[in-house]
Amino acid sequence: MEQTLNQPHNEQDPPVTYAEVNDTVLRMMEPPGTGWFLLLFTCLFFLAIGATSWFYQMWSGFGESGKSHPIGWGTYITNFVFWVGIAHSGTLISAVLYLFRAHFRQPIYRLAEAMTVFAVMTAGLFPIIHLGRPWYALWLMPYPNERALWPNFRSPLLWDVFAVSTYFTISATFFFVGLIPDIAAARDRATTKFRKALYGVTSLGWRGSHIQWKHYTAAYLIFAAFATPLVVSVHSVVSWDFAMSIVPGWHATIFPPYFVAGAIFSGVAMVVTLIIPLRKAFGLERLITLFHFDAMSKLILVTSGVVTYSYVTEFYTAWFSNNPFERFQFWFRPFGEFWVAFWGMTFCNCIFPQLLWIRSLRTNIPFLFILSIFINIGMWLERFNIIFQSLTREYIPAAWGGYNFSWVEVGITVGAFGWFGMWMTLFIKYFPSVAITEIKEVIPPPMRRASSHGSGH
Amino acid sequence: MVDSTTRAVVGIFTFMDDALEAVKKVKAANHEYRLYSPVPRHEIEEVTYPEKSPVRIVSLACAITGCTAGFALAILCSLDWPMRTSAKNIASIPAFFVPGYEWTILFGGLGTLMAIFIFCKIPNVLRTAGYDPRFSHDKFGVVVACANNQVDDVKKRMMDSGADEVDVRESL
Repeated sequence: MEQTLNQPHNEQDPPVTYAEVNDTVLRMMEPPGTGWFLLLFTCLFFLAIGATSWFYQMWSGFGESGKSHPIGWGTYITNFVFWVGIAHSGTLISAVLYLFRAHFRQPIYRLAEAMTVFAVMTAGLFPIIHLGRPWYALWLMPYPNERALWPNFRSPLLWDVFAVSTYFTISATFFFVGLIPDIAAARDRATTKFRKALYGVTSLGWRGSHIQWKHYTAAYLIFAAFATPLVVSVHSVVSWDFAMSIVPGWHATIFPPYFVAGAIFSGVAMVVTLIIPLRKAFGLERLITLFHFDAMSKLILVTSGVVTYSYVTEFYTAWFSNNPFERFQFWFRPFGEFWVAFWGMTFCNCIFPQLLWIRSLRTNIPFLFILSIFINIGMWLERFNIIFQSLTREYIPAAWGGYNFSWVEVGITVGAFGWFGMWMTLFIKYFPSVAITEIKEVIPPPMRRASSHGSGH
Repeated sequence: MVDSTTRAVVGIFTFMDDALEAVKKVKAANHEYRLYSPVPRHEIEEVTYPEKSPVRIVSLACAITGCTAGFALAILCSLDWPMRTSAKNIASIPAFFVPGYEWTILFGGLGTLMAIFIFCKIPNVLRTAGYDPRFSHDKFGVVVACANNQVDDVKKRMMDSGADEVDVRESL
């Protein structure tokens, strides 16, 4: 098995060079073929379904969403939490692992960052859709207005506005800053007028002089330091939307770490889902090796353990609290009306990932692809369990109720995948989706004489 | 008489240590230079720019500004439109920790971006004399500004250091 990027598949293979990294990554950006257009049109088709459903909901009224008493937070908030969770691992991989100098991040972090930015763009749509009257979304912002009032800064919902908008801004900035030297490499190789103009403008005139690199690397480290607390804070704040309430099943102090671990778990799984077909389609086997899949599998295994521990703690706390409503909620989840969702979640998030203890499965690409999809289904079900199940059985039986999914909700959920897929598809064709500069940093520089620094940066 | 016309002598190197050797030689002769590389390396920093970057000062100043602005926004908005909840303070500092915390990071991050723009002198869409597209691929470049009558000396220093090719262009 390959150990690092620098140690190739076998003795006969030459080591990876700077030129090979440029050639391999920039080849991905060559004019697209039929497969790419097919993928893009599929995404646009899903997006059209979502847009039509949303317009229908706005035209016909919010009753089309399927929400009614007692479930005021339905599929849209489930989708919001799901997509914010997906967005999480990008910053973990790009910032936290950068600070820890985890070299397995280099070939995968760019795609993870792109996934973060596009997933936050997707997540951000759902609170707006959930408003019913999206044109009032602006009221969430603290701006001087003719109503002479300000939002409530003690509300977790407003904290969410601050947390998610900051997360998007910083993630997008960090993502763009990381792209600048790589876009410059694309600019220097561009042949068409459109691409020359696109990369000429977006590379901002980057040249890679020693002065530029000095300030750039200092700034990049600071960006990583700023982005790291966001990894913890964003999903903690999202979890407070629930934990600050008094709904049985929501009012728990374990929510912030539980949500953060779950977000990293689902995010890494989504990276695996995206990177496997990309690696195959563009022949990236020498850059994204089995070593990287082994490392990601270990991360999935650890976060699966934390998530499982959190599930068990929730049950234990409900029992130990001696609160009948809390106890009933945690009886209802595995044995009530929606038991399939609970056991589906348990299988996908707790049981199935345990197979990653087997070393050969951690580097078995088809197995990892299937597992990653199961994990993402399991993490959607986790949010379903938290939101729907808690609201359907809240306190006295007179307040209980059920839920009818509407085709509008399903359409908008499908549309979100189309929206996310469209951005990812455009990105992989027009910008370097594997980090050229950072991969070069882990390759020993070409030296005539022996270096005292070794290969690592 | 000293010829004041400046020229850019461009040395293209395959090996990083050769490029650093050339930098040491032109520094010793007090020439203005730039080293282009496809990747940042500590070895390059140690020779060319060992001092700390001032980016961190800008980042810190902006982060402190953001923290102050975040708390100030929450406190002033709450005082302007008081919403009394039981016996809690109108200016509820623990609850306002979130806007303060988020704006610390937001302002700090945007300040760091601004610092990159200022210190790296980007955006810059003008052509840079001496820059070669191979510098973003797999070559290292040393570009030296010198007077016309110093060109031969600089070229010799480059070639002695192991340059693949040396070219003379308009100016730095």
